[in-house]
Amino acid sequence: MIQRLHVTLLDVEGALQRLLGTAERRGFHVLQLRAEVGAGAVCTVMLTLEGTRDAELLRRQLERLHEVREVSLAAG
Amino acid sequence: MADTGAIQSTVRSGAQWLVAALEAEGIDTLFGYPGGAIMPVYDALVDSKLRHILVRHEQGAALAADGYARVSGRIGVCLATSGPGATNLLTGIANAYLDSVPMLAITGQVASGLMGTDAFQEVDIFGMSLPVVKHSFIVRRAEDVAATVHQACAIARSGRPGPVLIDLPKDIALARAAARATQPHPARVPLAPNAAALAAAHALLTHSERPLLYVGGGVGMARAEAALRAFAATTGIPSVCTLKGLGAIDPDAPGHLGMLGMHGSPAANHAVQSCDLLLVVGARFDDRATGKLDTFAPGARVVHIDVDAAEIGKLRSAQIALAGSMPLALAALAQPLPIAPWRKHCAALRALYANRYDAPGTDIYAPALLRDLSLAAGDQAIVSCDVGQHQMWVAQHWHIHSPHAHLTSGGLGAMGYGLPAALGAQLAQPGSCVICVTGDGSIMMNIQELATARRYGIPVKIVLLDNACLGMVRQWQELFFEERYSEVDLSDNPDFVALAQAFGIEAFGIDTRAQVSGAIRRLLDARGPILCHVRIDPRANVWPLVPPGKSNGEMMDSAA
Repeated sequence: MIQRLHVTLLDVEGALQRLLGTAERRGFHVLQLRAEVGAGAVCTVMLTLEGTRDAELLRRQLERLHEVREVSLAAG
Repeated sequence: MADTGAIQSTVRSGAQWLVAALEAEGIDTLFGYPGGAIMPVYDALVDSKLRHILVRHEQGAALAADGYARVSGRIGVCLATSGPGATNLLTGIANAYLDSVPMLAITGQVASGLMGTDAFQEVDIFGMSLPVVKHSFIVRRAEDVAATVHQACAIARSGRPGPVLIDLPKDIALARAAARATQPHPARVPLAPNAAALAAAHALLTHSERPLLYVGGGVGMARAEAALRAFAATTGIPSVCTLKGLGAIDPDAPGHLGMLGMHGSPAANHAVQSCDLLLVVGARFDDRATGKLDTFAPGARVVHIDVDAAEIGKLRSAQIALAGSMPLALAALAQPLPIAPWRKHCAALRALYANRYDAPGTDIYAPALLRDLSLAAGDQAIVSCDVGQHQMWVAQHWHIHSPHAHLTSGGLGAMGYGLPAALGAQLAQPGSCVICVTGDGSIMMNIQELATARRYGIPVKIVLLDNACLGMVRQWQELFFEERYSEVDLSDNPDFVALAQAFGIEAFGIDTRAQVSGAIRRLLDARGPILCHVRIDPRANVWPLVPPGKSNGEMMDSAA
């Protein structure tokens, strides 16, 4: 099943590694990643993932990462 | 980040800022081992009041810090140099991650300009540790060191606790800088769970005829034992607990049925299978607790209380999710419940499946020895286990009155945990009776820490249950691999009494049941570290047992 997540996180050392690593370790395959660092060292990331596990659970697992500010599941 | 906005007039090196920040955090004990890249920190320690415990292997440092943290409720701190020092910490860091123990791991790193060049003793410990830390930092400027320490400590302590790593390049540790003074961050208190969810949980409780508390390690980590016990007393709801939940409920409470799961009590497992409401408190449906998940508590609705919202619904969906403060949730739900028939049923289960200690023969029966030792040591004694059969015997037979008095590697299952964790526990509570229960396989994983016990005169009491094999693996090979024993024989073990004595530790051995009471007295009377080597039957198994992949209702109680 394809899932799209929109993530806002602080652009600190290791932030993307942590984000992608968490998604992969929790059972999702990263199909697409688009990341952009904006003002205030805030990074916005659009992740497209494939997996059979509950995406809402992954959203909460990503949300507890220290640098992550917001995670939402995108429609479609 | 809390800061005063003032510029410190004192210029310090990065290493000195690190030590000053640790002192400001109220940390008094570090466990570590020096080496090249961490040398500036060790130099700064010379002028510090911090107590440094020199272990004999970095894994021992991390596991001792873990034991220190579990008993004290404070952050355990370990430090090591770059490369092998850092990688040797990893098992202890992973242990803290899986058991939610607040820990600060500080590693030296090669100088910034050498990072990424495969320099001597360079590894990417930041990258290697990512899956097993709550958060991690590489400090890039000396003026950021103190603020990073305070931030790391706040993260390690807050919410669901865990380990945080700070990697400190050598040039940053040596560089001198005037930094903005920072203070420890105030503790963040978890919020009360959602009011509507609490009301829904209240309604489920009111209508339940067979509610059951499923208690996990989160209760101890939240220091919520008193709230839980008050809740259980008010509601009268019977309870079961996980390996890490042991001690959260008084083991003598009439409604407590003991540990559930693979080596749990039949009373606990049968109650879970027949309850109609499972009130999960700080537990996470670990596979060792649930057995075959889709047959676990088949008729139960689930109310799940946890400070970590990501644990709710991870493995078993909950009808009601109560994310947030455990004491507040329990207080809001407490009410007397008309469940007398269910309580009577659970009391009958408890009586029916009470442990028995009348094993035939004259060989030492480990469960009876552990039961007798725990009773003789008293309610305040702390037991630190290694991993294997003896770990399960302790869980089944030790009278554990506090989750902080039972140190066990529950999530990682790391052989070698017991001795260094016991050392950390004893240093956290110097006046307590600390007993390490280990096996002949496990103790060899960190046997070198006997030297630490000797050096500092740490009076831990070590009970080494020696069955001359890797008992738990042997048991599984017997039961599930058609007795095809593969690489489990340890009959060429060293003479453990002579070995302990070579480290300067008092030691003696016993091998008959008649010697047990004298051995217990000698252990408890000892003023310094002491080891008792106990020869037990290599064929002894841990019973009962839920076979892998089976339901908790399908327990075995013998090999037949």
